[in-house]
Amino acid sequence: MDFVQRKTEDSAVDHFLKEAAEKEIPLVWDRYEGSLPQCGFCETGLNCRDCLQGPCISHPFKDQNKVGVCGKDKDILAVHSFVRLVVQGAMGYLDQLTDFAQGVEAKEGSPKRKQEVDKILKDIQKILGNGDTEVIKKFPKALMDEWKATGVYPDGIAGALFKVSQKLDGGVGNIEETLLWAFKGALMGCAAQMLQGRLKAAVFGDTAPTNVEVNLGVLPKDIPVVLLYGHFSPLLKLKIADAAKGKKIKVMGVCTDSFVAPYHFPPVTNYGSQEIPLMTGAVDLIVTGDQCVNPSLAELAKIWKVEVVPTEVLNRGDLGSFAKKIVEKAQEAFKARGEISRDIPNMKESAVMGFSAKDIDVNKVAKAVADGKIKGIAILAGCNNVKFTQDHEIVSIARELLKKDVFCVSEGCASVGLAKFGLLNPKQRDVSCGKGLSTLLSSLGRNIPAVVDLGSCENSGVTDFLLAIAGVGKKPIKEFRMVACFPEANRTKAVARAAWTVAMGIPTYFWPFLPVTGSQKTIEVLSGFCEEKFGARLHVVTQKMEYKEKANLLMKSLERK
Amino acid sequence: MKVIKVDPEKCTQCHTCDLWCGIEIGSTAKELNAAIHEKPQPVPRVHVEGNNFPLHCRHCEVAPCIDACPNGTMRRDPATGLVYVYEPTCIACWMCVMVCPFGIIAPSPSIHVAVKCDRCRNMEYPICVDVCPTKALVLEEREEGATWYGYAPKRSF
Repeated sequence: MDFVQRKTEDSAVDHFLKEAAEKEIPLVWDRYEGSLPQCGFCETGLNCRDCLQGPCISHPFKDQNKVGVCGKDKDILAVHSFVRLVVQGAMGYLDQLTDFAQGVEAKEGSPKRKQEVDKILKDIQKILGNGDTEVIKKFPKALMDEWKATGVYPDGIAGALFKVSQKLDGGVGNIEETLLWAFKGALMGCAAQMLQGRLKAAVFGDTAPTNVEVNLGVLPKDIPVVLLYGHFSPLLKLKIADAAKGKKIKVMGVCTDSFVAPYHFPPVTNYGSQEIPLMTGAVDLIVTGDQCVNPSLAELAKIWKVEVVPTEVLNRGDLGSFAKKIVEKAQEAFKARGEISRDIPNMKESAVMGFSAKDIDVNKVAKAVADGKIKGIAILAGCNNVKFTQDHEIVSIARELLKKDVFCVSEGCASVGLAKFGLLNPKQRDVSCGKGLSTLLSSLGRNIPAVVDLGSCENSGVTDFLLAIAGVGKKPIKEFRMVACFPEANRTKAVARAAWTVAMGIPTYFWPFLPVTGSQKTIEVLSGFCEEKFGARLHVVTQKMEYKEKANLLMKSLERK
Repeated sequence: MKVIKVDPEKCTQCHTCDLWCGIEIGSTAKELNAAIHEKPQPVPRVHVEGNNFPLHCRHCEVAPCIDACPNGTMRRDPATGLVYVYEPTCIACWMCVMVCPFGIIAPSPSIHVAVKCDRCRNMEYPICVDVCPTKALVLEEREEGATWYGYAPKRSF
């Protein structure tokens, strides 16, 4: 089947697509086209591989052959598909946290605020126990009581995640019950993300909003470049930056947390085009974690003679010497790669990134919402998905919302996508914002861009912002005019994040379709039942729509409150 | 004329063909996620049965369904030789359903017309052939007279 769709909105990426086609270099879009048509049963969540009697599918157009071998019907199959994603996503956050915490415990770095670090480490221990952590208690008491009454209070990885993962194995739980378990698992991930953000601040010190440049144009031509891909211990990042300090070598990031105080790693590009930096020829060494990294990098890197160093390996050894080795390797690679031409498109955009709740006067924001000066608050998250033109959805939706006076915050790769189009550049703020929003933003400070980036998905910037808002507004989060949107999501972590956002009481729109569309009942439970329990819906929109319609949906959701 | 050839060795019973038949031919949305929720439910024209064999209409040279149809609703496209149901005149007598030797024709569960595969006669390529991941379905030229059902006129016994 043919894949007819513009590949990317980013002209820096577009610059390389023709070359890739001429040289027959397979990129993500080609592989996607090759996999079409994708399995419709998997796409709609009507499949299961959880035991070896299967695989089972249920045909959406036929009533016969409805249940799997073990008796899972369409509704349970769809709910389980959702649970599977949430568990995997929540595990992602826990993995980041435990990896980092183990490094800190092993005294791999010298923490800035030692006492606080000890306290957080103790808190992390509690995750393994009953989960009664200090961070989760930061939520308003009423919300916690609701969670406890519903049964989704995240009471440690044993009670939440291990249990949830076994829901896939069997049992006679109904849809609603199974779904609540998924939310419980997601909230566990949320607690892990909050702990990681706090641990990071305690170890490295607070980050402040920083001027950065993004997009391929930031790559330097005449010095060695190390690119950090995906998520791995911030301690290792710090060590690499330490080792590179004073040497002519540049360390940059793709799909990774750009801020490890006192360093920052300019985002070269975002998820959808993570293969493209290689094509510039200006990358000398790649250091990758597991999360958010396409396995295709290994093969592609060979074309440009770039070594890919994985960090998540058995017996990694001491971080300091590992980091030194990385820097040495990069320097050697730069010399050896002399004959490879460096084609760097002159495209970059400056942006202010890395805000945290304390950098914004939430009082003013809450007041502006209450007074009707702005229409509400939108959370934009999720990285790229090959099923959509790269960055098109998120940037167009953000522009629509800004025009309509909605205060937008973003996090992670979503921020990088928005930054590439100038939405994080304070100088271009007033071009894209409506009057009410413009006034609010300028009252918040000169350096506030149109969309406020609350840091990478390794920090809990958005959650902290919500807590701050709830604190000053003195009402439950679900009563604020807020909406969350994942316009181009692709990671399981995004699904977990969407689930906990709903559990906090914020209506959430998720694209592409979650694999629950095969069951009408599951879609209804995700909206009606969640509304009843959490005061917010997880919207699964099955019609294809343009970005304008999507933005209108978000606006309607804001106006409902 | 061109017909769909099935290679049972290659068929894995993945049901991709009947799923997509339901979307492309059976639904009005032409989109999987929207088609699922359509009422009446889309009806796939292909049926993957037990022994690795997707059943399509064979467009028999001597077609019993055309012979049995009392009012000319079952027709053959003179240009392509493909057999199809002209829905406006179908009186739902189910004679075609009864006589089809392959069990291809079925009454629609929601409206009073017979439903059958017309090999996507208005499309460039049949959707099932297009989506089959193992190429168990291919479009092939069929020799005149090498019929799947009927009197096999060119063979002598």
